[in-house]
Amino acid sequence: MLRALSAGSAGALLALLLAAPLPAAADVKIGVIYDQTGPFAAGGSKAAAIGNKIAIDMINEKGGVGGHKIIAVEADAQSKTDVAINEAERLLNDAKVDLLMGVYSSAHCVPMAAKVDAAKKFMWANVCVASAVFKDKNLQYVFRPQVHSDQFGEASCSFIAENAKAKLKKDVKGIKVAIIHEDGPYGVGVAMGNEAKCKELGMQIVHKEGYAATSTDLSALVTKLRRAQPDVILHTGYNPDITLFLRQAKEAGLKWSALIGHGAGYGQIDKLIETFKDDVNLVYNVDPVAAQLLDAKSLKPGLGDLTAEMVKRYKAATGASQVPPHASMGFNQAWIFLSDVLPRAIKKHGGFDPEALRKAALETDIPEGGTVQGYGVKFFPPGHKMAGQNERSSPVVMQYIKGETKIAWPNALRTIDPVLPLPPGHAYAR
Amino acid sequence: MDCQLDIFFLEAVVNGLLLAGLLALLALGLNLIFGVIDVVWICYAELVMVGMYGINYAYKGGMPFLVAALFGIVLVAIAGALLHFLVIRPVLETPPINQLLVTGGVLFLLQAAATMAFGIEFKNLGIRLGSLNIIDMSFSWSRILAFLFALAGMLALWLFLSRTFIGTAIRAISQDRQIMPLMGVDSRKLYLVTSAIGGGLAGLAAALMVLQYDIYPQIGLQFGPLIFMICVLGGLGNMIGGFVAAFIISQFIAVGSSCFHTEWGYAVAFLFFMVAIFIRPQGLFGSRT
Repeated sequence: MLRALSAGSAGALLALLLAAPLPAAADVKIGVIYDQTGPFAAGGSKAAAIGNKIAIDMINEKGGVGGHKIIAVEADAQSKTDVAINEAERLLNDAKVDLLMGVYSSAHCVPMAAKVDAAKKFMWANVCVASAVFKDKNLQYVFRPQVHSDQFGEASCSFIAENAKAKLKKDVKGIKVAIIHEDGPYGVGVAMGNEAKCKELGMQIVHKEGYAATSTDLSALVTKLRRAQPDVILHTGYNPDITLFLRQAKEAGLKWSALIGHGAGYGQIDKLIETFKDDVNLVYNVDPVAAQLLDAKSLKPGLGDLTAEMVKRYKAATGASQVPPHASMGFNQAWIFLSDVLPRAIKKHGGFDPEALRKAALETDIPEGGTVQGYGVKFFPPGHKMAGQNERSSPVVMQYIKGETKIAWPNALRTIDPVLPLPPGHAYAR
Repeated sequence: MDCQLDIFFLEAVVNGLLLAGLLALLALGLNLIFGVIDVVWICYAELVMVGMYGINYAYKGGMPFLVAALFGIVLVAIAGALLHFLVIRPVLETPPINQLLVTGGVLFLLQAAATMAFGIEFKNLGIRLGSLNIIDMSFSWSRILAFLFALAGMLALWLFLSRTFIGTAIRAISQDRQIMPLMGVDSRKLYLVTSAIGGGLAGLAAALMVLQYDIYPQIGLQFGPLIFMICVLGGLGNMIGGFVAAFIISQFIAVGSSCFHTEWGYAVAFLFFMVAIFIRPQGLFGSRT
């Protein structure tokens, strides 16, 4: 009787086990931090957040990563460092996300990266560029495929030096450069890169000055630039300081041969055109390239289609006619993580805890042309002075011509013969 | 230090004067409210922001700029009266900290509401008025007009307070809040009128600022601390004090930024403020009571 009962129970148990669905793979919870409100939101953070979301949506539509669905837990840093840090802590400790991703402002990124690393949690930085995030910090759990600020600074100086004789009809040593920047880690980092590279190339730095991005008046700075008469102004700023500078510069009659911006507010050309119309025609901007500007043939097969899908979805989500570089940054970095690092962490290192993700990130080896923004990905190893930073990233110098973005540098990628100096009749032409 | 006494230095000094006009106007409304009602509107700069958005949409909706500016002034005047009626009046007899907190709450409410209603994009009217060029100096007409209108606004307020019956009543109640009601004056009505005038001044400042600055929900944070510093330096509630303090602070910013880095201009201005307050805690023109 007992034997019959236990045989029956075993059969029932077996039937139950067979009927029960297989346990679902755990979701990967990603804490995604961008500035959805405040001045940084319109300066590119919102665009990057949309790009990031498109990448996650596309991965989930394919069934996730290794059967794991990606759950984005979004947080708004409100363009405030204290809020960004608090949100990072909330996401890690309360929402129990598996990693952090995103972050637009370097002012948020520098302290957040240090905190996350100290807590041995994993962070994947998508947009912030300050070299100070990694320089001499030997971070172990923070990785950034994005370009860093030293490279921004070097790109603009190299571009000017290579075009000095042919375009400006001057020897490099005769070029007068002014460097102006907002005084956060982003502006300071780029300006340091500018100063070091321009000096190395022999240019004259006739003025260098930082200012608060919230300044109510930049007229004194404009006056000093009028006194110094630079050929080229290298500017790193957010918004509204960029528009304040351009407006006061025009009113005060400041002239230049070239104005080169370095990302952030300068990456939002449709907004600048809305405000300044033809006055911002021929302005340069240094940034990681907007993916849609690259020739798909120079990339790994399939990446052209990926870019086209990203552009299509971005336009549908925003109604914008131009897709800013920040959208590509948010999308590309997220895509690299979700399509390369995370699958390897799960398959090879047994999951997506910080240690598995760290090991997988360190094994990343994407050659040039292997991402939608063209650059490859390989991270500087632990012990290197830039440990965690992508050593294969590179920015481009773009020029806005009648509302369209063209690549002016490096020569291998360029899509136009750059217009330099500004032609007569331009509002800022000498 | 790069303090060259050349034409560019003179340009910086004059630009400081032009900035002072706008700051003095901003301080005037806040001082009027505090002087009469004894309440600090922490959200004053956010009322300016509301006015800037109002003018932006009115102008882009087809109104000529002057009509849009007038609309903005009336809009913020109504907002000022509503602020008093709905928020200040219920806490008028409570400790000052309550009044500070509720107007602080309105600050965050207005910022959040503006973000939700108008979005995060920077907006501007796209009006360019050009510049006045004298020798090698260049001054923006938008700043010159802002300076002149700010002076005119202050003069108009002075005439109103000194030459009209209701203006006299406002001055009287600002001198003794207890006695005036006993003499039959309706203090509630006077406070409401004063709030509307304070709002109207914020609206005028908004009309002048849309010619110089982008409009976004947090623009109040750009100006708020500076306005409060000017009001406290001049003596909170003292309109002449606020006027003089605006010129002092503006010159510190302009000349300091011209001789040192731009950041130092603000640092020197705040340092002067701290030293002045150590010496005269009641402000330069404030009374010890």
